Amino acid sequence: MDFGSFLSAPEIQVKVITYRDIFQDKAMFEDRFGEEYRDLSAVIKLDPEDLKQLNVKKGETVILKNSFGKVVVKAEESGYETPHRGIAYMPKSPWSNILVSDETGGTGVPKFKDISVTVTSAKGEKVTELMR
Amino acid sequence: MEKNYHVCTGCGLLCDDIEVESEKNIVNKVYTACRVGVAHMKEARRAEADFLVDNKPVDEDTATREAASILKNARNPLIFGLGTSTNETQKIAIELAKKINATLDDTSSFCLGPLVEALIQDKLKTCTLDDIRNKADVIIYWGTDPSDSHPRQLSKHTYFPRGSEKQRGWEEERTAIAIDVRKSHTAKICGNYFFQIPPKGDAEFIDALIAGLSGKLPKTSYNYPPKKLLELANILKGAKFGVIFVGRGLIYSLENLEPLFKLMKILNEKSNFHLIPMVGNCNTMGFNKNLFAETGYVNSIKFENGTVKHGPEYSVVESLKAKTVDAALVIGSDPLLILPGSIAKNMLEIPVISVDHCETLTSKHSKVYINTAISGVEAGGSAIRMDGVKVSFEPVIETNHPSEEVILKKIMEAL
Repeated sequence: MDFGSFLSAPEIQVKVITYRDIFQDKAMFEDRFGEEYRDLSAVIKLDPEDLKQLNVKKGETVILKNSFGKVVVKAEESGYETPHRGIAYMPKSPWSNILVSDETGGTGVPKFKDISVTVTSAKGEKVTELMR
Repeated sequence: MEKNYHVCTGCGLLCDDIEVESEKNIVNKVYTACRVGVAHMKEARRAEADFLVDNKPVDEDTATREAASILKNARNPLIFGLGTSTNETQKIAIELAKKINATLDDTSSFCLGPLVEALIQDKLKTCTLDDIRNKADVIIYWGTDPSDSHPRQLSKHTYFPRGSEKQRGWEEERTAIAIDVRKSHTAKICGNYFFQIPPKGDAEFIDALIAGLSGKLPKTSYNYPPKKLLELANILKGAKFGVIFVGRGLIYSLENLEPLFKLMKILNEKSNFHLIPMVGNCNTMGFNKNLFAETGYVNSIKFENGTVKHGPEYSVVESLKAKTVDAALVIGSDPLLILPGSIAKNMLEIPVISVDHCETLTSKHSKVYINTAISGVEAGGSAIRMDGVKVSFEPVIETNHPSEEVILKKIMEAL
């Protein structure tokens, strides 16, 4: 592997906020192991400028990583008019849950909507499959 | 022709105006329900196996006996889930928990539990969805997006209906407001009344709003335009019947509920405001109320020889994290799907009994799997709507699968 190109792979830090999506919920009711649920869940919605910085086109995969886990998901543009660089959105799912901290301060409440991750291009790697 | 309406148990709204066409105990068509409701009543994929022990097909008796044996041999078993179970099932689960000295919790411990507890204890003013349909003029959605989570709420209960005292509807008589960190589908409906705040900016926004309501200049560290905040304060002051729907977006952002108590206090000095939590599952409210009636707590408890211990250490998250539970009975829930992977993984180390109509991540890793009737579709009973109203329902179709209620009773008998 060309070590130089590895070093220059753009990397950004984002805060991920999770949300509910009716299409994804419907797909879960039908089959949580199905393709539709995976396609609607394993997604991160980024600011177009963040996508540009990552040198990733919408629909391509990215690696999301932090000290709790790593997943490969599809990158999309958020479509929000207001710029939100550094903040990204994911439907709540096992894919986002892999990245949620186990630090709860003893409250019993994980930080489902406050996830810090590093994003890099997955260079064509496939979306992470659900643990079976 | 008299219509036969059914109840959808797809979410906390418990819509009671659903028409269904069925033949030979298969639902062919579902009318009136939302996308999720139709999927719940018609498309729900049932697991192929009826009863499994160690992934091998067994009969019902063997499965319930094995489940009883796991619970009996456990030092501190966890009973978790029950958010989609009927009240009747939940009461049996509480009895079972008592009998086996179990830790008992549901999803509310990491969702809206504290808020529901405050409402049950009459610390906040609430109302029913029917009151809102008939009277509400100002509807606030804070940290919640019902267009995705409770799809028919705006059309059936809150914004669009022409209620008895709101015949001129949303065009003239109702204002819907969204306060959120992103422009959700609900925020789009709210149009100019969408107030976008930064993540974790809720407590400050509440403070600024309270200042605005008190005639002071509303200030935030993120420079939210004071003019817009004052405009919001004026709408709230003028409300004849206001309601705040609170979602996880707001609850997760607050350190505690104090800011919300303060806001509700001043709103009720200036006008008339109610609060309803956006409870997700069809009977989480029932679980909280039934457990409160029995123990004085809404979740996160442990029974111990007739006494009840309560605290976050008995929540599903903390007890799995600290590995204090050594077996789990999961009813109608999929903790391996909904919990952080870093915590859920501990569940793989203990014997799990999964009671659910469908195959789940949890059931795939369970020692015992029991395929039960879907509450509200194949099993009757009652549930508590998100606003505290009890709704009873008959099964829509018949099934050979036992109800959760029957299974829990059998496990109790086999203990």
